Amino acid sequence: MFEIISPLFLSLIVGGTLIGIIFGAIPGMTATMAVAICLPLTYSLGLENGLALLLGLYVGGISGGLVPAILLGIPGTPSSITTTFDGYPMAQRGEGEKALRIGVVSSLIGGLISLLALFLFAPALADFAIKFSYVEKFLIILFALTVMAALSSDMLLGIFSGFLGIFISLIGAYDVERGGNGALRLVPPGTEYWLESGFSLLPVLIGVFGLAAILEEAENGVGLTRTASSLKIGKGSGFSFSVFRGQIGNLIRSSSIGTFVGILPGVGGSAASILAYSNAKTFSKTPERFGKGEPAGIIASESGNNGLTGGALVPLLSLGIPGDSTTALLIGAFTLQGIQVGPLFIGDHPDTWNAMILAMVISNIAMFAMMYFAIRYFALVVTIPKHVLYPIILMMCVIGAYTINYGVMFDVWTLLIFGLFGWLATKIRLEIAPFIIGFILGPSAEIYFVKSLESFGDLTIFFTKSWIAMVLWGLVLASLVGSITMARKRKAQVDLQTSRGTAP
Amino acid sequence: MKLTRRNILATAAAAVLLAQPLAAQAQQLPRNVRLVIGSKSTGGDTYQNSAIVAEALSEHLGINVKVDAVGASEAFKILERDSRGTTIMIFHDQSYLANLYGVPGYDDPFEKYTVGPSVAINPGNAYLVAADSPYGSMEDILKAAEKGERIRVAIQPGGVSEIGFSALKNAARVRAPGSEANIVPVNTGSQSDKNQAMWDDLADVINGSIQANEQFTQLPADDAKAMRFVWITARPETIAQAPAEGMGKTSRDQLLGFTSPATSVTLDGTSDFTFDKEFFFLYNKDMDPAIVAQIDTALTEIFAAGKIQERQKEAFFIPNFLPSQEAQAHLSAKRDTYAKVIAEISGD
Repeated sequence: MFEIISPLFLSLIVGGTLIGIIFGAIPGMTATMAVAICLPLTYSLGLENGLALLLGLYVGGISGGLVPAILLGIPGTPSSITTTFDGYPMAQRGEGEKALRIGVVSSLIGGLISLLALFLFAPALADFAIKFSYVEKFLIILFALTVMAALSSDMLLGIFSGFLGIFISLIGAYDVERGGNGALRLVPPGTEYWLESGFSLLPVLIGVFGLAAILEEAENGVGLTRTASSLKIGKGSGFSFSVFRGQIGNLIRSSSIGTFVGILPGVGGSAASILAYSNAKTFSKTPERFGKGEPAGIIASESGNNGLTGGALVPLLSLGIPGDSTTALLIGAFTLQGIQVGPLFIGDHPDTWNAMILAMVISNIAMFAMMYFAIRYFALVVTIPKHVLYPIILMMCVIGAYTINYGVMFDVWTLLIFGLFGWLATKIRLEIAPFIIGFILGPSAEIYFVKSLESFGDLTIFFTKSWIAMVLWGLVLASLVGSITMARKRKAQVDLQTSRGTAP
Repeated sequence: MKLTRRNILATAAAAVLLAQPLAAQAQQLPRNVRLVIGSKSTGGDTYQNSAIVAEALSEHLGINVKVDAVGASEAFKILERDSRGTTIMIFHDQSYLANLYGVPGYDDPFEKYTVGPSVAINPGNAYLVAADSPYGSMEDILKAAEKGERIRVAIQPGGVSEIGFSALKNAARVRAPGSEANIVPVNTGSQSDKNQAMWDDLADVINGSIQANEQFTQLPADDAKAMRFVWITARPETIAQAPAEGMGKTSRDQLLGFTSPATSVTLDGTSDFTFDKEFFFLYNKDMDPAIVAQIDTALTEIFAAGKIQERQKEAFFIPNFLPSQEAQAHLSAKRDTYAKVIAEISGD
């Protein structure tokens, strides 16, 4: 197994991981983009070395997203959206380094747990994955959508914002490639040319998180920039591994959720961290701290999205079906080398299989080493004067939006429209987190719901399809009850404070 | 310098002379060419095939040709805007089939664009049944439909995936009019969805491909995921050009057993229906014919050298270079055949 390790193999993994981290850390650039750019190189590198590069990019790209999510409040990749919820408040308290270290350690553990699952159980997990039909996939998405309630500070407005996100995500053609009929929906007359494909996810994401924040700062007047001395960095960062005490359950559960979502083709990478976060909040003894800088939130989000990396390789290598958009590109690398991926791949190509597992392990370790020790310098990003930092962020957001679909100008307009929307939305008390979760999950919810009805006939199938469906209903209800209970407690607390005259 | 008539004339003459090379340049492909494709996937067959062609053109002409996977809708928009030759497109039969099936956003490519040279065929389009299916062949399926059994076929509607389904319905109509009503579509999306439809017992037959499904045909019969090929739509002469070892553990000879004439899906009672998924260029209608000729010439030389064919065959493509005019005639005739099939089963 270890004979594959050569200086070239190692340097490709390390180099790939580094480039991936950079791509993930720049808002608008993604792991998928990094892999797409480097895909043609793999032809000349040979399969094992080519895969080493691509897997390094994949792991690095997913992990790098936590840096802007925590320091700037802008998710570097869609899968790090939930990292912003607690990471950014921590960074605002000067605990950016601590939050980053928690994120990096969680990413490593999530990545390694999912790899273990991949290595030991890939064929069995693939057999389990095929038990998930449209019905079960819809219920998973529904479960992920319940996080909208958990994330809302005002339940009614939060849920309204979430539904608004779903509504906007459905604008455009009913995608033929997902089994739709290509008909346009919700498109105002005269805008068909631009809105045919709807709004792309990434420009919307960086618009509502990145541009909206910059507009907000501009409105308030760009405040004083933090000095390095006001940051908790180095020995004073407050980070120690004791943060993870009591979080082992959260780590294992979130990593497993990430892995599990990865093995289900079509559910989508973003759902992994959303589900992990939702669960962590539901099972937490202090759910009220989530969204305000709770380390458990970062742990759930980052172990969840890195758990996806190994999980998404399960259907790819056991069924020939990619688990997410990045692993879809890996099929190209195999085909360019004339290698088939499918249920016989692992048995027929043990060397390639071993090389992939090794590359993923080394890449996770390289990611940890590079990020853990460079964090102190990352954390200093917030000390760059804002009048310098914000134009750079804005420029990167625009470049990212333009390049995400290989040069579509409407994506830049999308960024600007949703930047304005994000800025104005908070003024009318709409909530951005539920909105964006609705936007991410809306298209999957629609397609799985419609296809379930088309395939099985009526609504009762959602309750009678299988034991898996019943378990998922249980989780949906638990999540909703948890959210409602929490909202009542919060209201009771506010009422009590008001009656004592101590309300904020 | 005084503005005398002589000076003005001399300046104008110099400008005309200087403009000559620019005018000559305008009839050539620019230094940087954007090759948009009708797919958003950079891991799929359209991208792979286009990347091979783009690399060969770049090397041969000493220019940069960059493949951008923008997807069909965006690619057509970009192509429509750019007549300078800076943007060209590669797509496949979906471009006209989607138009025939009435998918919104797809115009008739033969009218709206200039169809350029064809470069390769993906011979993989196939239909499969579960390993434990009662249907052993297309003949069984058509006979079952004649007997009144309902046959559910999982496809992605509106294009390449549907044309074989339409042909199946048409064959049923030719053999026993009325029996085509027993062949019904199960509209799905990706290959993963089609496979899942079979495993969920929602479909009796699924559309798939040699590349994506061959390994499932090698699984033991008691494996819930096991499948069997029943039909490969490619022409036999196309499959005959594939490597002798075929794909995976299925040899070329075995693959030929699933193509016409061994497996017959009749077109009109006398000849069989076949479908090769062909990749070809599309240009802006107003693009300079000199650029069309330049690409034709370059590809003629590239294919004459023979190296590109090796790359294509390694990725299980069948080389199929036809210069623009031949490709237009060939694809136009092919479109007319399929238009007839679709019209017949629609009752138009």
